[in-house]
Amino acid sequence: MNIDKNVEEDGVIFMSIKDDTNTEGTENAGRKPKTDGELSGSREKEDILILAIESSCDESAAAVVKNGREVLSNIISSQIALHTIYGGVVPEIASRKHVEKMNGCIRAALSEAKVTLDDIDAVAVTYGPGLVGALLVGVSEAKAIAFATGKPLIGVHHIEGHISANFIENKDLEPPFVCLVVSGGHSHLVVVKDYGVYEIIGQTRDDAAGEAFDKVARAIGLGYPGGPKIDKAAKEGNPDAFSFPQAKIGDAEYDFSFSGLKSSVLNIINQAKMQGQELVQADVAASFQKAVVEVLVGHAIKACKEYGYDKLAIAGGVASNSGLRELMEKECAANNIKFYRPSPVLCTDNAAMIGAAAYYEYKKGVRFGLDMNAVPNLPLGDRERRFHAGK
Amino acid sequence: MKILGIDTSGLVGAVAIADGDLLLSQFSIQYKTTHSEILMPMLDDVCKKIHLDLKSIDAIAVAKGPGSFTGLRIGSATAKGLALALDKPIIPIPTVDGIAYNLYGVEKIICPMMDARRNQVYTGLYTFVAGTPEGKSLERKFEMQIIHEQFATSVEDIASRINEIGKPVVLLGDGVPVYRDQIDKLLKVPYSIAPMHQNRQNAAALVSLAMQYASEGRMVSADEFAPDYLRLSQAEREAKEKKDNKGQDKKQQETRKSPGLVRVREMTAEDIEDAALLEKTNLGKEAWTQKQLIDALTRDDTIYLVAAKAGRIVGLCGVQNISGEGEITNVSVARDCRGEGIGYKMVKQLLERGVGIGIKDYTLEVRASNEPAIRLYERLGFVSEGVRPNFYDDPKDDAVIYWKRSKDQSSDQ
Repeated sequence: MNIDKNVEEDGVIFMSIKDDTNTEGTENAGRKPKTDGELSGSREKEDILILAIESSCDESAAAVVKNGREVLSNIISSQIALHTIYGGVVPEIASRKHVEKMNGCIRAALSEAKVTLDDIDAVAVTYGPGLVGALLVGVSEAKAIAFATGKPLIGVHHIEGHISANFIENKDLEPPFVCLVVSGGHSHLVVVKDYGVYEIIGQTRDDAAGEAFDKVARAIGLGYPGGPKIDKAAKEGNPDAFSFPQAKIGDAEYDFSFSGLKSSVLNIINQAKMQGQELVQADVAASFQKAVVEVLVGHAIKACKEYGYDKLAIAGGVASNSGLRELMEKECAANNIKFYRPSPVLCTDNAAMIGAAAYYEYKKGVRFGLDMNAVPNLPLGDRERRFHAGK
Repeated sequence: MKILGIDTSGLVGAVAIADGDLLLSQFSIQYKTTHSEILMPMLDDVCKKIHLDLKSIDAIAVAKGPGSFTGLRIGSATAKGLALALDKPIIPIPTVDGIAYNLYGVEKIICPMMDARRNQVYTGLYTFVAGTPEGKSLERKFEMQIIHEQFATSVEDIASRINEIGKPVVLLGDGVPVYRDQIDKLLKVPYSIAPMHQNRQNAAALVSLAMQYASEGRMVSADEFAPDYLRLSQAEREAKEKKDNKGQDKKQQETRKSPGLVRVREMTAEDIEDAALLEKTNLGKEAWTQKQLIDALTRDDTIYLVAAKAGRIVGLCGVQNISGEGEITNVSVARDCRGEGIGYKMVKQLLERGVGIGIKDYTLEVRASNEPAIRLYERLGFVSEGVRPNFYDDPKDDAVIYWKRSKDQSSDQ
């Protein structure tokens, strides 16, 4: 993946992510089954092009995706720099920026894919979960474009998008497989039974993994965003300097709990403060990261073995954590499991992954009505059906 | 010239389509439905009913603000999406100007007031001035004059500006019923209130004004258009206030103004520190942090109230609107001020204000052992609907789930 970056006047970073595997991947894309009778559109056309829009948090994004696997364009307008001074994403600021930036993203996505709206087969958008004000911008834009062009509208679950990011660079990956979804808002262990069919077998009881990273980073003075900062610091620290607890949950062996771990990090910091000792930031980061990663990897490998799957994917912002990727790689190899992961840039919020997920919904004939609303706490696997049009 | 108009700046959601001086179609709803679910189906409807070819539209007019932040974004993002797909320009109409245009030809002072919360209104001052008749014709064309362009201010301020002009005034907008008593006390000129068909955001008035804007070339491209909120986000305001260091002054003012008296008002950025401390003292581990409180402040779908006594924050309560259901997230009263009816006063106000952001039903969870709180909620008309066993830790306790639903008009005494 190549990234063209441009910092705009207001501090927003405009990025165009180019999938360099595609030149050689054109043949791969052609391998996808041609549209069969399931396709409800009257047009019998081989390639399905989806314009996808994402605005669930602090990145405005648009992409054009062909047949669910080939990314023709992938534009991200990241506001992260604007929120850093507040120590986290400010929903009102994020929502305002989405309104300003979304049209530019969509236009860039179309022009880079060298297509016009006429060439698009469907408009897809993230409608949850996420910040409601932020989601509403993408949802309103997508509905307006679908309405004005007469194209079908498809609502996508943000986490299903993250899982589907794996399809983009791994043309051979097909369900069923196990997927570990770890981000600032989610820690889920999911069995992807088929395209769009998910069974959650484990989830966090308290903090999401990414949340724990953010909180610990703040506590040890690394600041926001916590994930990348801890990852970087951990590389210079001793992972065995401290031994942090790894919560086991008796009645649900695949569930996670990170709040106890977070508290024990805070305790160590406080103790050190009281005793006037200086803590080595990198050691705390490395030990904390090790504790999180070991639990995540342990659960995921165990699930593969017990449920009998030989494919394991990771997804979500924390999936770009180098410690997690390394240990997962090692453990998968040791257990004869094929390990799939998106490039780090596809682990962050983007619209290409939304287009990938939407393709399989499109093929199933899923269409949303113009009354589609943002659903900030949309559950995974049990998707909101009330906005579905007809059918 | 065919213009499609959208206004979702307030409780009214409205669309209209006009062709030249002909209003082809309009649809307006003032009800507690969300704009997001209603706007596009309304638009679909008005277009279908007049067999409109969308491509024949020349421009999209939209209420550009002020108004509800979320409402403005739904309207703006929709307008931007339509304009992008149809490759047409946007005509941004200042919301308050659009409301004033309802009263075409009125030569009195026109003062729209939109409830801006935090004891303010979005308002402006307008009047219509007749042009000189041409030849022998008795026809007179009116032009809307802007005496004071739209802004956010207190009711006191706008009233004193009206008094200064000293002419009769017509009031309109959703802020009027909210501040009616205050207005009546403050205004020293004869005033009337516009009837309901002219009183709120009206997409027909908006497209009508947009026709004039279009003839003057006041259009922007789809990409450059952004709403005009007239206010910074809470987080930005707070950062600015911190810089200006005004916080301390305000607190001192409060002490001077109301010693010993409990005043319930909306929480502001300056209260965060005290509010977090109150939470911490009362709830320990379960307390909301400063960050959570700041988050709550910056949202459009929450209301946070504090009770201030002699400049000290002695109570805090808040509600979040989750698609019409108000989840009461916090209710805290300082230990030494309990039993003074502060909780009742705060929550009662919270329930009243929640209606303004579209809350129909209220729910909350309370420790089963917290009898004073349970008594308070029952007195306010909450009914227990279930129990979450062992929901609370430290000490372990059940959570009782309470609801106050709008349909059961239970008394709050």
